[in-house]
Amino acid sequence: MTRFLIPLIAVVLFFLEPVFSLFSPIELGGMRYTLVPRFLIVYFVFLASYYGRRNTIIYGLVFGLLYDMYHIDIIGIYTFLYPLICFLAAFIIRHVHRSIFSVMGLSLVMIIFLEVMSYLFASLIALTSIGFDAFLTTRLVPTVIANSVFILLFGWLFHNWLYKRVIEKQIGM
Amino acid sequence: MPRFFSNKRLILLLVGVIVLVALIAFSLKDRQSANLPEKMVKDVVGFGQSLFSKPAHAITGFFDDIDGILNTYEENRTLKARLTEYASNEVKLADMKEENERLRKIVDKQEDLRAYDPVQATVISRNPDQWEEKIIIDKGESQGVKRNMAVITANGLIGKVVLVTKTTATVELLSTENQNFRVSAMIPGKKDIFGLMEGFDPERGELIMKRIDSSLDVKVGQKVMSSGLGGIFPKGLLIGEVTEVSTDDYGLTKLAYVRPAAEFSMLDHVMVAKRQSETAQGTDSENASAAEGEEGS
Repeated sequence: MTRFLIPLIAVVLFFLEPVFSLFSPIELGGMRYTLVPRFLIVYFVFLASYYGRRNTIIYGLVFGLLYDMYHIDIIGIYTFLYPLICFLAAFIIRHVHRSIFSVMGLSLVMIIFLEVMSYLFASLIALTSIGFDAFLTTRLVPTVIANSVFILLFGWLFHNWLYKRVIEKQIGM
Repeated sequence: MPRFFSNKRLILLLVGVIVLVALIAFSLKDRQSANLPEKMVKDVVGFGQSLFSKPAHAITGFFDDIDGILNTYEENRTLKARLTEYASNEVKLADMKEENERLRKIVDKQEDLRAYDPVQATVISRNPDQWEEKIIIDKGESQGVKRNMAVITANGLIGKVVLVTKTTATVELLSTENQNFRVSAMIPGKKDIFGLMEGFDPERGELIMKRIDSSLDVKVGQKVMSSGLGGIFPKGLLIGEVTEVSTDDYGLTKLAYVRPAAEFSMLDHVMVAKRQSETAQGTDSENASAAEGEEGS
């Protein structure tokens, strides 16, 4: 049972992202703010820090490919970015003290990295025409704020339940 | 400190980048149709997605219901005031319909650009990285949905189908920045004014109607609807209301800013409008814009 729990959570988060994006964009004071749910990448940063780099990169590759095929119709963007972020997260966490707070901070940094990369790509192939400062105020900042709520919630759950009950046992085996 | 890249990893990364760039180029070339593996993935993931989206819609629907109950008194009062008006309008409408049918028979005209069969659909997901304004609905080829069909809500037009698989369809919303997304539109009046919905101003949150003949007089507050002349969309789907009129970049034609009638966020139930009369390839379709692009217009 517990063997399937880790991919199962990834699948659930993958399906939850587009449900939450149905609420976006929100309008506040005449401005449209875009909130991008980045739940999956938070989970992958946690997995890369606690579970193991190799498996996480494979998860990143599979879910990146699914994301590209289902949502974007351009194969290659997230197929590249997801494993790259898993790799970077595993690399960074080896050089800093691994605590739940440093992993939370790292996942926030990785969300910013992912957003900036996807912005660069979108403007490269002319999907968007907004400037970088408009991107910062209407997209990046609200996204980071909304996702940090998720990170706090998920980090607490991950640390107290998933890590202690599931991952430690699996790694111990 | 360990080295960031060993030689083996460096080669692996380079090969990976080359493969991905090739894949991106390959899939960018033809985004209107999906190949078999893509279709299969879309159908399977779409099924899983609808398992998550439908309960989510039920929950948001429940909160909407509560909100509705709280406003009942207020709403009831305004509705009562409009009810008498509605009854007389309905009689008039029925009369007009009958007359329209009779006149149609006289001139022996069977086809009606306005007539369409609605296909009810539920929105199962919105593109999470919202660079493109796309939603996915749970009806596809097997329910008769085809590419380029108009998608509407109760309030008005929201977009068109850009890609279909067996059980899902991807809809691009009107609020897209895609330059090739065109809908032929008209402003009904004594003399109908025709133009093209082309582009979206993200700062104003309004659509742009271009290529309006500069000799015609467009007034603020006039309603804009689909003209049905593009070939696929039915006629008379409400798009929005004119908020500002100005001239275009070259001063040859007018352009109007149009506030969309439909909301583009919080979409749950939509309809795909299947036109009853014969459809043709026109401005509403991608083919036409590609041909136009080649001519350099």
